[in-house]
This record gives sequence, C-alpha cells and structure tokens, in this order.
Amino acid sequence: MFDQILFILSAVLTMGGALAVVFTKNLMHACVYLLVSLFGVAGLYATLNADFLAATQLVVYAGGVVILMLFAIMLTGGVQSTFNKFGIVKVPGMGNAKTYTAGALAAIVISFVLFKILRNAAAIPAKGQMAYESTVEKIGGLLVSDHVLAFELSSILLLGALVGAAVIARPRHIKDDV
Amino acid sequence: MITLPSYLFISFVLFICGLVVMIARKNIVAIMLGIELILNAAAINFAAYTKFINQNLDGQIISLFIIVIAAAEAAVGLAIVIRFFQIKESIHIDDATQLQS
Repeated sequence: MFDQILFILSAVLTMGGALAVVFTKNLMHACVYLLVSLFGVAGLYATLNADFLAATQLVVYAGGVVILMLFAIMLTGGVQSTFNKFGIVKVPGMGNAKTYTAGALAAIVISFVLFKILRNAAAIPAKGQMAYESTVEKIGGLLVSDHVLAFELSSILLLGALVGAAVIARPRHIKDDV
Repeated sequence: MITLPSYLFISFVLFICGLVVMIARKNIVAIMLGIELILNAAAINFAAYTKFINQNLDGQIISLFIIVIAAAEAAVGLAIVIRFFQIKESIHIDDATQLQS
C-alpha cells in the first residue's frame, strides 16, 4: 500500500515535471520543473528497492546538475536574452511554432518505433521481485570486483571533465586586432 | 499495479519529453535540459529491469554510471555554453555556426 502511494506520487511528479519542461515559456521555470521531475525519478528508484541509487540521484542532480544549470542560465543573461549586444531584438530563445511542429512530428514517429520495441520487451515474463534489503554493500562490492574497469574509467572521465570545464570556461584576453 | 510495463511507460514519456525539448527549443541551456531527461529515462529502464528480470544489481550499477556521465556532460557542456556566451553575447542555437571564434 505504501509502495503504491509512493509509486503514484513519483510517477505524477516525474511525468508532470517532464511535460512542464516541454510546455513552459520561461527558462528558469523549466529548470525548476526539471528539478521536480528528477525528484520523481528518485522516488521511482525508491520503489524499485534501489536505495543507494535514489540517494545518489538526489545528491548529484538536485545538489549538482540543476544548480549548475541555474548558474549557467543566470551567467548567460537570465531569461531575457532576446537582445544581442547591438540592441537588436532576436528570436525568443524558447522555440516557435515551427520548431514545436517539428518536435511533435518527431515525437509521433519515435512513439511508433518505441511502441513496436516495447511491446515485445514488456512481454518478457517477470521473474518475481527482489527481496527487500539494502543494496549499498552489494553495490560497493560489485564496484571493486566485477565493474572495477568502468569504475576507474569513470574516475578518469570525471578528472578530464573537471580540468576541461575549467580550461574551457577560463576568460581569455581578447586580441586587439580581432 | 507496480509492474514492469508501468515503469517502461514512465520512461517512455520522459524520453519523448526530452526529445521534444531537444528539437523544439532554441536555447542551448534548454537543449541540455532535454539531454538530462533522456539520460534519466535510460537509467529508469536499467533499474526497472534489474528488479523484475535480471535481479543481480548490474543494472543499478549501470544507472550509477549514467548519473556520473550525466554530471560530467553537464559540467563540460555548461562550460562551453558560458564560453560561447562570452564570444557571441548570445545562447541562441542558430548563432553557433562556426567552431573558431
């Protein structure tokens, strides 16, 4: 019963947040709706007995990625970036009827393809459910035994992303003749 | 009620929303929001299959690596967006027409 209530709440948060990201006109609001959707995904992980994954989702996304997105929005002129440096009004940055039509057409096509795939995939009989217990110890053991190569490679990836982001975003001196 | 197809449906809705955001938006930061939605859809599928079909936690570990890769991608992508804004004074996707400033 508790699992069902949590599942319904998480599903509504996830899908409602994602639809709000699509249809809102304000970029800052879209970012906050993305946060709502990611909270819903964390709740879905909790209903899947993936407690470590739910905690990681909350820490990394709510604490890291969404804050980073908000910083990027505010550093790039906030939500009113419809003027360029010459004062000329440009196309508003949130899309227009043409791009939404293209998006809807692509959504319909991909929907048919995914239904074709998922109808076979959902027909696989479920093997019952995992027993309810903590997964932290098992994930820790698997990360240093079976998946140790991917673990080390992800450390290299994170180091590269850290250095690369710092190098790319560093302000450079603009040459006079450019 | 809580079965595998329900999780697949939620993941499907999330994927379609991310796809529409990536196509319809003209703002580079908004396109990155769509990428985050699509990565989350994939991670939900992995976690759902590891509960109902596979049952040996490999899917949860792959979801963990998806979260790691999404964080790295967001950091580098937003650094590129900020650099682009310093050069072009805009984050409109149609202004990104050349690699060299």
